[in-house]
Amino acid sequence: MRKRRRSETGPKIGLVLIGLYFLVPLVSTGAFSFWEGGNRYGLRAYVALVHEQQLWQSLGLSLRLAIETILVGLVILVPAVFWMNLRVQRLRALFDFVSVLPFVVPPIALVAGLTALYRGPSWFVGTANYLVVPYVILALPYTYRALEVGMRALDLRTLTEAAQSVGAGWLSIMFRVIVPNLSTALIGAALLTIAIVMGEFTFANILLFNTFAVYINYVGQTAATEAAALTLLSFLITWLAMLGVLLTGRGQVQIGGAR
Amino acid sequence: MGYLEVEGVAKSFGPAKVLSDVSLALEEGEFVSLLGPSGCGKTTLLRIVAGFEEPDRGTVRLAGTEITAEPPAKRQMGMVFQAYSLFPNMTAEENIRFGLKVRRVDANEQAERAQELLELVGLMQHRGKYPHQLSGGQQQRVALARALAIRPLALLLDEPLSALDAKVRVQLREEIRRIQQETKVTTIFVTHDQEEALSISDRVVVMHQGQLSQVGTPAAIYGEPDNIFVARFVGAVAELPAEVVDGTEGIVELFGRKVRAARAQGMAAGTRIYFLLRPETVRVGPEGANGGLDGTIAGRTFFGALTSLRIELADGHGSVTTAMPSDQAGELTPGARVSVSWADDAPRILRRE
Ligand SMILES: Nc1ncnc2c1ncn2[C@@H]1O[C@H](COP(=O)(O)OP(=O)(O)O)[C@@H](O)[C@H]1O
Ligand SMILES: [Mg+2]
Repeated sequence: MRKRRRSETGPKIGLVLIGLYFLVPLVSTGAFSFWEGGNRYGLRAYVALVHEQQLWQSLGLSLRLAIETILVGLVILVPAVFWMNLRVQRLRALFDFVSVLPFVVPPIALVAGLTALYRGPSWFVGTANYLVVPYVILALPYTYRALEVGMRALDLRTLTEAAQSVGAGWLSIMFRVIVPNLSTALIGAALLTIAIVMGEFTFANILLFNTFAVYINYVGQTAATEAAALTLLSFLITWLAMLGVLLTGRGQVQIGGAR
Repeated sequence: MGYLEVEGVAKSFGPAKVLSDVSLALEEGEFVSLLGPSGCGKTTLLRIVAGFEEPDRGTVRLAGTEITAEPPAKRQMGMVFQAYSLFPNMTAEENIRFGLKVRRVDANEQAERAQELLELVGLMQHRGKYPHQLSGGQQQRVALARALAIRPLALLLDEPLSALDAKVRVQLREEIRRIQQETKVTTIFVTHDQEEALSISDRVVVMHQGQLSQVGTPAAIYGEPDNIFVARFVGAVAELPAEVVDGTEGIVELFGRKVRAARAQGMAAGTRIYFLLRPETVRVGPEGANGGLDGTIAGRTFFGALTSLRIELADGHGSVTTAMPSDQAGELTPGARVSVSWADDAPRILRRE
């Protein structure tokens, strides 16, 4: 009995240490964001930020890019993963391999590759929309995994054939049968993508677009307390996205995975 | 000329030949079962009829039109699958309406048709439930209703009962038969369960290794098997090796004695045969009774109304099973010595290679 209790304290201490490792910088950042010089504390940094035009522009840009990335990623991946699971399961290993490539290839190599390919219509190449290309690639491992898990949980073949036998075409099958049953997976993929795009710095900075992460970096070099406030804000966005992933995932368990 | 016809169909998956030269014709409104052991190609044949597999050779015709190359969605055949196949995001009623919805049938008509079918399968009070809130039997009823909603030209069922427990299975198979007779839809029902096939079909098709072994009414399949595979697969049977002695009189030699067998008439003397006895034709009497084969009771199984006995024949001549009403099986316990007899016209005779 005593022995067992002792063995439980070890992990607990470990958890507390890890918690501190994450919390202390956050709390310090938070405290710093309220500092107004000397020993005065207040909301000045936040007030200044709220009035900063550039913040809203960069935040808006990043959100727009996140949504575009989600749409482009899903439009490509949903049919691809569906087809792989339904007809060419032997390609699964290849799909798995390709999906983790973004982890293996350093972002800087991707940027170099992309700049070499800097061609196309001006509404695309000349604008921040161009970032959607690397962002889809960055989000690929997460989107793919979410879809793959979601589709494997369905008996795709039987559902597809049941729909075909009563006369459904591919569009009906996709939008009335497959996608509605993937809602949890799709929401998960979308929220992860938001978290990634909101925090992405390398591509945007090198390609000279003023996204949220780039703006945070810029503020950090010019106004320290405002940068701390911004950092907290961006953490909050990421956390909300993660919380969303957790909650929708839990919802699925509660209804027995049937919906 | 039949209503639904399969002609000369062959199918291989890689090197594995799954169907070879299968031909079958159903009359309109007929209920035909495909019966065979697992792996004999039943599902593959059904999927070729449904359009989910393309045959390597041969044709499928429906109401006089060749449909071999038609995609499944164009064939208007309702299908019920072995696995639960309801759309998890839709209620029972929405599942039933799905086929009408994708055909852009008017909404009022959809609702009416769904109502009709919910009543037909007895699920009116469950119309608003999602699949995970329904039992296995209820899910298969909804699947049946969904298949029937489109007024299919043919109904295809692939072992729809195999995931259900025994009692529900019997109930639902009777209901399937009732519904089929009410709607008069031409039906192919795949099963590996002979009792299921015999009890609900107009005709049974016994399949073996990708070929049709025998096609006939349930009574004919059970009573007059064409070959030893069908005799063994459908019902229990004792096979005793014998040889025809006199084809005009119908006399065969069985374990060294001459026995009359009406069905051996017309066979050439010297033909090696199987002498087949179904359990219900076997009579058990006291040891040494006139004309019987002596043996010892080796096993006894109680099935409620019936009791089955396995009788080991003397001199290592194999065994015979019999089934009798349980109240008549009192003294016949393992170890008892008995004799086995039968009516002259009871044994089925099949050529033995
Ligand atoms: N898509 C397929 N690819 C390869 N082999 C298959 C495929 N479908 C069925 N088979 C094989 O064909 C044989 C018959 O299968 P099936 O028609 O499902 O038999 P049954 O329904 O009578 O059990 C089996 O040996 C099975 O493994
Ligand atoms: Mg099968």
